[in-house]
Amino acid sequence: MDNSTRRLLQRLMRRIPTPLLKTTLEKWGRLTVAQRQSMDFTQPKWAVTEKLLAICEENEWTAKQITELEMIYIIDNPNQGMWYAFQLMDPEDDAHSVELMQFKEQFKSHLSELVRHVSVKIKKHTDEAVWIRIAWGDSLSRPNHLKPTYVVHYLQTPYVFVTSLTSKQKPLLSQALVLSTRYHAIKDANLSGRKLTAIRDLLMRQYQQAFPTKYPSPLAEKNHTVSNPRIEREQAGLIANRLQMACEAFGDGMLPQLQSAVYKLETKFKDHTNKTMTERDEPFKCVVKFASTNLLESLRHCASSGIASTPVTPLLSSIPLKGRNYFVITDNGPSPPSQMHASQN
Amino acid sequence: MERPHNSVARTPLNSVIVQRRSKSKNYRQSYRSCLGAASRFSLTPALTARRLNTSRRAPKSHNITEKVNPEHLALLLKMEWKLSYVTPLYQFRHTQLKSYSRQLSAFIAAEKQQGMAVEVEGSHSSFRVSFSVVQGMTETDDDAETVLIQIHSKPLFAGQDEPQRSVWSGWLTCINGNPDYLRSLPKDFICLPLFGSSGPEGLTALVKSWFQQNFDCCFGPLEISHTSLQWLVALWTNCHTESSIQHLKMIWTLPVVPPLQITYTVNPQDAWELWSSVRKDRQEENEGREQVEEGGSIDIEEVMRFMQGLKSHFYRHFRLDLSAGSLKQVSTALGSAKDSGRVKISNSRYMITTLTLLTECALLKMPI
Repeated sequence: MDNSTRRLLQRLMRRIPTPLLKTTLEKWGRLTVAQRQSMDFTQPKWAVTEKLLAICEENEWTAKQITELEMIYIIDNPNQGMWYAFQLMDPEDDAHSVELMQFKEQFKSHLSELVRHVSVKIKKHTDEAVWIRIAWGDSLSRPNHLKPTYVVHYLQTPYVFVTSLTSKQKPLLSQALVLSTRYHAIKDANLSGRKLTAIRDLLMRQYQQAFPTKYPSPLAEKNHTVSNPRIEREQAGLIANRLQMACEAFGDGMLPQLQSAVYKLETKFKDHTNKTMTERDEPFKCVVKFASTNLLESLRHCASSGIASTPVTPLLSSIPLKGRNYFVITDNGPSPPSQMHASQN
Repeated sequence: MERPHNSVARTPLNSVIVQRRSKSKNYRQSYRSCLGAASRFSLTPALTARRLNTSRRAPKSHNITEKVNPEHLALLLKMEWKLSYVTPLYQFRHTQLKSYSRQLSAFIAAEKQQGMAVEVEGSHSSFRVSFSVVQGMTETDDDAETVLIQIHSKPLFAGQDEPQRSVWSGWLTCINGNPDYLRSLPKDFICLPLFGSSGPEGLTALVKSWFQQNFDCCFGPLEISHTSLQWLVALWTNCHTESSIQHLKMIWTLPVVPPLQITYTVNPQDAWELWSSVRKDRQEENEGREQVEEGGSIDIEEVMRFMQGLKSHFYRHFRLDLSAGSLKQVSTALGSAKDSGRVKISNSRYMITTLTLLTECALLKMPI
């Protein structure tokens, strides 16, 4: 085992939390029962790592086996770093019949035609997802296993999710993907987040999208005496109305955990109290970023609590409806790279 | 309504305090009686006079680089400072700084050793403190000279010959302090109400406690209020034509579950145009007047109109009311400020303007 492989294993072992070590190594399936039993997971991690290094040396394992272990860990724990969504466009007639073996072969051969030194590992996960690990090198250097790109593609769908991709590698990956999936193009889906499952669910509409058209009024259940039933009724009506509007925009169930949404606004400044700015020709340029541990939940709460006026503006409800969290808003209707009207009143 | 065209330091600030102060015989007494009085008066109109200036001089660019030691200036601009207010220092002498350096070094060494089981050889020299005057960091004759404190130490595992490194720095300043208030202080007091520190909390606590013991003062956290943050937004934006602000960034949080953070970043030129549009009427009026001060002055109404403009543009798109939340942080290329009382000043030319506002905030926060 060379030094770089040794470093790779040490780095990986540092990343895997101690409670997950045992199960991850079991899933790897490379260790014999005797070897597994010889490892004491109550020991400090560095000692476990030393033991594992010794076993690897003994079996003369290389980066191949170590990257396998890394993939197993990442597939089970994908929420590390930012995931970006892409969408394949214009399928060929046979795009829907591409199956795993064919994709694997094609992808590997296309990518290695584009990059001299590249190491690709492909693994199918239980939920139909194909996981691809790419270690990039260039014409001079060998693949760098310490900074791999991970790609998740659902076969027979146009959706691709990518993490740790540099702008230099992006065109190469895009080309290899387009060719091996039998599509013509790939575009940025303007959606990103730390939780892979959340952005997948949003884009592929896999979460429970209950958008009730009629929200059951909570009035019927209220039975206690009130000082002024009319005021109470009116307020309850308003609250119920806000709740309904909030649910119409965001649904009433669990929401996919999105961390942020960004709007690039280039719209006219309109304010009847400010003539100078309203008469100005140029748009008012600003960027607004919303951030929360669960953005959609926060926005729904904004609407139901009255901090946001209802009905919820299409700008915000577009996040779940269109499955994206990056928008460019202009006054003049469709504009590249994203198309959306600023809905002005 | 009276027009604040000559505007500058018309502060209603401390008339109440001045009276109380002059009546009292010495500082200790006045401090105690004021505290008592403050709690009794807390709801009377007298104290409502104690608030931030509603009008201030438009920031002029100060060529401070000519006045201030470049090394000191570089240090002031490099760090983000945690702010506190300090009550006036009793018998602090700018001529005694050398002796203060020795005393504080010894104090820190002694305090650090308390927790140690065995005295490490030579540990008395492990911290070296230096006090220095930052010449030129004053605006009026009433302002006391700024004092800079630096603590140097050797890293724990450093070799013998390795030089000591700066581990902590702090300063005490007073820029454009309210002259009525400063003059009302008894002779033995030096007022340097704004304290900034950068470095480990433990050392900050030691420095504070040394000051408390030696100069009979007290420290308290200086949060930067919503209004002060808005003032900074306006003061900085106002500088854009002279020194680009690059961006105007404001961070709000909204009280929903889970909490929502909104970062609103405005193009510098557009921010400036909005700012001049809310200022315009005023300038036209001023043109008619003869004696307009250089740079003019900025009124709180203009600051509020500016903020309102920004908020209404936001509301028009998102139908979300930013007023429901709180402003947490503002930043431009000239500096950044957080409501928790952390400040970074990135441009020396507008440092005085920022410190003037913060000095005022510190004076207001003082419990006397």
